[in-house]
Amino acid sequence: MATQSDTIEGFGQVSRRAGIIFRYLLMGATMFGIVTLAILLVYVANDALQPLTADPGWYLVFFATLVAPATLVGAYLARTNLDALKLGALVVGTLAVTLMFSGGAAILFVDIVPPLVSLSYAVGLVVPFAAVVLMTKYEDQIPFTVRVAATGAIFFLSLFGIPGYYHSIPEMVQKIPVVPTEWVIVTFLLGGGVSVVVGLYFARLRENTRAGVVAGVAALAATGLFAVSGLFTGVNPTALAVVTAGAFVPTAAYAGGAALTREHERVGLLFAAVVIFGALVGAVAVDVLGFAGPQSWVDWQFLTSSHSGTAENAGLYPAIGGSILLMITVAALSFPLGVGAAVYLEEYAPDNVFTRFIDVNISNLAGVPSVVYGLLGLGVFVTYLGQATGTVLIGGATLALLILPIVIISSREAIRSVPSDMRQASYGMGATRWQTVKNVVLPEAFPGILTGTILALGRAIGETAPLIMIGAPNVLFSLPTELSSKVSAMPLQVYAWSSLFASEDFYTKAVPAGVVVLLAVLLAMNSVAIVLRNKFESES
Amino acid sequence: MSQKDKSAAVETSAMTGTEDPTNDDMLVQTDVSDGLSASASGGATRAKTIIRAEDVNVWYGDEQALQNISMEIPENSVTAMIGPSGCGKSTFLRCINRMNDLIDVARVEGKLSLRGKNVYDDDVDPVALRRRVGMVFQKPNPFPKSIYENVVYGLKIQGIDADYDEVVEESLKRAALWDEVKDRLHESGLDLSGGQQQRLCIARAIATDPEVLLMDEPASALDPVATSQIEDLVEELAEDYTVVIVTHNMQQAARISDKTAVFLTGGELVEFDDTQKIFENPESDRVEDYITGKFG
Repeated sequence: MATQSDTIEGFGQVSRRAGIIFRYLLMGATMFGIVTLAILLVYVANDALQPLTADPGWYLVFFATLVAPATLVGAYLARTNLDALKLGALVVGTLAVTLMFSGGAAILFVDIVPPLVSLSYAVGLVVPFAAVVLMTKYEDQIPFTVRVAATGAIFFLSLFGIPGYYHSIPEMVQKIPVVPTEWVIVTFLLGGGVSVVVGLYFARLRENTRAGVVAGVAALAATGLFAVSGLFTGVNPTALAVVTAGAFVPTAAYAGGAALTREHERVGLLFAAVVIFGALVGAVAVDVLGFAGPQSWVDWQFLTSSHSGTAENAGLYPAIGGSILLMITVAALSFPLGVGAAVYLEEYAPDNVFTRFIDVNISNLAGVPSVVYGLLGLGVFVTYLGQATGTVLIGGATLALLILPIVIISSREAIRSVPSDMRQASYGMGATRWQTVKNVVLPEAFPGILTGTILALGRAIGETAPLIMIGAPNVLFSLPTELSSKVSAMPLQVYAWSSLFASEDFYTKAVPAGVVVLLAVLLAMNSVAIVLRNKFESES
Repeated sequence: MSQKDKSAAVETSAMTGTEDPTNDDMLVQTDVSDGLSASASGGATRAKTIIRAEDVNVWYGDEQALQNISMEIPENSVTAMIGPSGCGKSTFLRCINRMNDLIDVARVEGKLSLRGKNVYDDDVDPVALRRRVGMVFQKPNPFPKSIYENVVYGLKIQGIDADYDEVVEESLKRAALWDEVKDRLHESGLDLSGGQQQRLCIARAIATDPEVLLMDEPASALDPVATSQIEDLVEELAEDYTVVIVTHNMQQAARISDKTAVFLTGGELVEFDDTQKIFENPESDRVEDYITGKFG
């Protein structure tokens, strides 16, 4: 062999042509759906919001007060302290999302459940809860069965009473001859509840009871002040109390808590301040300067009026209220059932043929078309149980059945992700299975369970077919007020506009506006789920 | 009896305290000083036997994990179990508090007594058994709760009425963790370092004052400093508890244990004797090969 080393020209080339083509095909496949949907959404949003109808001055003002400062601060933070920017964005997002949800809650308090009824049931629940807490304190002196029986009896007597002999607590509260006005009730009921939470949060944060009391009183005072301001400005004070307690106070508490504890990131609150004040200043400025905003179809009138023969006057209000009531019913039914089934399947069920059969079928049920669930609801609730068609209760029950498999599957995922180390530690301490589930598995899995349930509710809120099947009315002119009243929902109303009232006008005005509102609600729900999930993942 | 009723019954019995006679029915306390315990260790110690295994066999499905294990573990001592991976030493440890019950395919035969009562008898409630036999695992596994809540967990689930603050301080002191965490008892146990977490797990296990403490390679996931802290701790704990410790580390076994059991592949207990004898003059050539590093 030659002893001297040869120099070579190069190593040659290996063709990657097929690989490159494959890569871009895959990219195309990834983008296809997203881009198609994005184009549609741009069209819909354009129709609904009509951004081009606005005065150029309007854009100029908002650019100067909101976009430019926010971009500057945002870019600066993005370069120096990304975590701070995330905190600031989260505060803005929290405000937006809580505003939307508390707006929904305001509909509940103003038009669906009279505040006095809410108050009466709150009192009716507080009394038995207090009794149960008291009993838990002395639990080693009271036998288990007695405690269970007593708990059941206390709740039943408090909420239902004995008809004819003894009034339930809600009935008694509602019979009190002198009651405060509605906004006072809401301020103390909702504002009080929120204040207690805020107070506890700050007391824990500062490890100081006084800080908690101050924060709680401030929260309650803020709620009261906003409500009173409604008396002078003509805005419904009840709605103002709900929105303050549901959106402003929690956002402020979150921002305040972050400012106290996260020294490194607190500068990000500047971004939130710039965005919020920029928007407020811009709104005032365009009003003063007389620049007209876009002729959006999604406006106050659209959100607060019911269907009308003309697209310009049509609104979504009864459908929004209906969707809220449906979602409450669905959550109340599917959460306990779904989480219960998930806990059973993960923690208790033996691994045998029967369990595996159930496993496979739950996965299959998640894929059953929604119209089939509608048929199930019609068959079981209407035909078999003889309920009236199209009520809140059977609509909610049908949608709950629809999302039950999704709730079960996602809850099982969350429960499975609890490390088995922790279960072992608990069993090793001599815990029973129930104690382990209650003290270790469920608290650890809860954020995941909640995330899955919210995403499943997002599926339910957009369903149309099952509601049509169970005979929900397409058009409703007033809000449903109880579980047995007829209900409509946002997707159903949009469907009605595009089918029963099909005309150019509805296609280009009411339908896109309805779609935008529905998607906004959906996005808000999903963003809550995503924030929860991220928080959960970063902690574990 | 459904699962729920069963756990309710356990809770009720726990409420009346661990010294309840019903518990003693489950685990009859008898003194076992019938000469056998003395002869087993060649007459070197005269301590009472607390755990006695007689022909214990364990299967995972069709695979036999332990073969005819017989040994006697004396009270208030440290017994180490060493051997190569997969030799069944952890399996044996988990037989003592019936943690193997949690594995569907595991099957145990033979007699394994704690203070003379076979823990595999039908009338033994494994939950009641585990309340007397604490366990520390290989990987530190504190609950995602505060340090305080971690320590009182056992007291709460067992319904033991005690001054929690006192128990927390006492247990953390005995686990040599008090000085490091006394100012942050209400912070999460997961914020501690690995060694601190493991000492927290030990504090959690001794808070309920068990009779036996099982440790499954408690230092294998820790750095040398944390390991030596755990070793010191184990030696101290042996004054009040019977400690059974599984370890991969032969020096560790030699340092801290009074007696050593050597398991070899196939789930066989090859030799069980005073630690000094095992390490200086083992009977079996296979044990000598393993200890000197020729095998395993």
